[in-house]
Amino acid sequence: MIPPDPGPGPVATRREFFRRGLRAGAAIAATGGLGAWLWNRHPPGDFGRTQASDPRKDFAVRAAGPRMAIATGRDRAAMLRRALAAMGGIERFIGRGDRVMLKVNAAFATPAILGATTHPDLVAELARLCRAAGAASVIVTDNPINSPESCFELTGIGAAARASGAGLFVPRQGSFRAGTLPGGRLIRDWPVLDEPFAGVTKLIGVAPVKGHQRAGASMTMKNWYGLLGGRRNQFHQDIDGIIVELAMLVKPTLVVLDGTDSMMTNGPTGGSLADLKATNTLIVATDPVAADACGATLLGKTFRDLPYLVRAGEMGLGTADFESLHPARVPAQAS
Amino acid sequence: MANLCSPFGKPCGVSAAGSLYVLRALDGIATHSGMQHSKARSPGPGERAIAACSLAVLAAVLAGVCIRQTRFDPAVMMSAGVPPAAPAQAMPGLLEKWPAGLSPMSGAEAFSPGTLSDKIDGKADLYLSAGFVSLKDQRVALAGGAGSWMEMLVFDMGLPANAFSVYSSQRRPNAADAGIADYSYEADNELCLVHGNYYVELVCSDSSDPARRAAETVARAYVGATAVAEHANMGAEQALFPPEGLVAGSIALVPSDVFGFDRLKNVFVARYRDGGNEVTLFAANRGAPDEAAKVAAELRGFFVADCGGRETPAPPAPPGAAIFDLGGSFEAVFAAGPYIAGVHQAPDRESAQRWLAVLSRRISGAHP
Repeated sequence: MIPPDPGPGPVATRREFFRRGLRAGAAIAATGGLGAWLWNRHPPGDFGRTQASDPRKDFAVRAAGPRMAIATGRDRAAMLRRALAAMGGIERFIGRGDRVMLKVNAAFATPAILGATTHPDLVAELARLCRAAGAASVIVTDNPINSPESCFELTGIGAAARASGAGLFVPRQGSFRAGTLPGGRLIRDWPVLDEPFAGVTKLIGVAPVKGHQRAGASMTMKNWYGLLGGRRNQFHQDIDGIIVELAMLVKPTLVVLDGTDSMMTNGPTGGSLADLKATNTLIVATDPVAADACGATLLGKTFRDLPYLVRAGEMGLGTADFESLHPARVPAQAS
Repeated sequence: MANLCSPFGKPCGVSAAGSLYVLRALDGIATHSGMQHSKARSPGPGERAIAACSLAVLAAVLAGVCIRQTRFDPAVMMSAGVPPAAPAQAMPGLLEKWPAGLSPMSGAEAFSPGTLSDKIDGKADLYLSAGFVSLKDQRVALAGGAGSWMEMLVFDMGLPANAFSVYSSQRRPNAADAGIADYSYEADNELCLVHGNYYVELVCSDSSDPARRAAETVARAYVGATAVAEHANMGAEQALFPPEGLVAGSIALVPSDVFGFDRLKNVFVARYRDGGNEVTLFAANRGAPDEAAKVAAELRGFFVADCGGRETPAPPAPPGAAIFDLGGSFEAVFAAGPYIAGVHQAPDRESAQRWLAVLSRRISGAHP
């Protein structure tokens, strides 16, 4: 409603004019103060200033075709060598001058014998094999939220990387870049590990087989969770959804799934040797979905027990029917 | 409607009328300054257009804010919690004085419900659903242990029952009673105990004898140095389970979503050998007979409506008991006094009926 025209009013005195001016000034100052008080000086990752980039990371070697090998035994390094040989040799995937990243699982500051993290023997052997295949550099990384330096050191991964001539990249706050996954529902304007990928030409994920309280199992696909920064624990509310999106995010050159000892209970942290079962298997594959579907069997499950594997298969992110890849089976006595 | 800025004693909120008041206020100041206008006038078309444009811009901003807020944006949620860096808090050591031969490798850290998953990732749900309050942890080195070390994790679970819940649900199958505090066991490289409302894990980097002895020493030192409120143990509920056939160490307290039914909480369960099979017995004190009967009725409904179960002929005892066939696996439930109890995943109806009778007699004997 438009207010009625007040008509000619009394002329204000000088005192009245200053009084009104003072009130107006106070109101403006109060409004400004309120705005300053409510202003968020630390917006989420300062993402508002930049357009979120496409965070997808594709390092697949399509010319090699889908390949998979399942080795059995107890010696991780020997199983790795045999599995790679059965897939045509590491040279099929790593070439001269490649800059290789090994994405390990270093999520917890626990000793390697507890099986909660990537075993240092695999890190050392993979780094050595990559260098032998002509890789110009190998870096090892993960993003443990709590005490990353302790995680790398107490798991033995840091020492293994140094001993094999690989670099160790410990993320810091500036190592992430806002990314929005095309077609993604959860990874939107989210900090994704970026800095160590500069110049990287090949990516290998290396993870242990573990039961997981929420996801059912933690294997190579869940391992990409370490590429996420920020308060990522909220993704646990849709753990299957985020694992599927991580499979959309990352296309690795290879994945190595270590089921030498599988964490059957109390995963993903474990804590006791009693949580482990000797399953004597190491899986190497170009397809993380196939690798995890095979790894699920070590936990007494099938891919149908893990909704993220079912969804990833339906979305064409890989095949849960790992037998369709005709995996090379490399028994222990073959070495 | 906002009423923030009228020096003329009139509102100047976000409305067409308010805009005109503002224009008139400016007009009044200009008049007083002797710039022009010997008499007041109605706002002109230009002024009305400016007011309308201002309101349109404000409306667009409001609509934009509303649309944006309806979309889940984890990046915005991220800013609402604890700062991403250094979520754990440094604090004094878990023991004022560590036993001889042990030296802290670092200061202790503390985690809240909001940061627990930073430490234990997907296992956080287990603790959060059981009433987790806080976690403090610290690592100590073992002198002469060739690199051996131990991590001590102290979970404050708020109540002794909550602490027993997480303790019992993680008990390892090869655990041996450690004889420390309310409940305790050793399994390979680990010693776990319940002391009042605290659940404590001592995880050694190896399972050597020196490491295990050190864990035991630390456990005793912690219990001796940590006062807890006087509390009753959970012996009364555990005594309801018959000893014959009981799988050792299998009694556990499940805090929530028992058997997938969200109304069934804080239930004691125990596993039993039944020939070549295993069955689970369960019992929970609901405080009053009415409440126990109500939950039992809801559970019966759950078996039929949500699990596709078929009720079989009523067993002879106890009164009001029911047995359901869930496609070859049998569930039984009854209420007795303040207790709801029953049998879970019996291999056949006879087994369910037999265990139902045994459990019913135990409960009647304990609470006639």
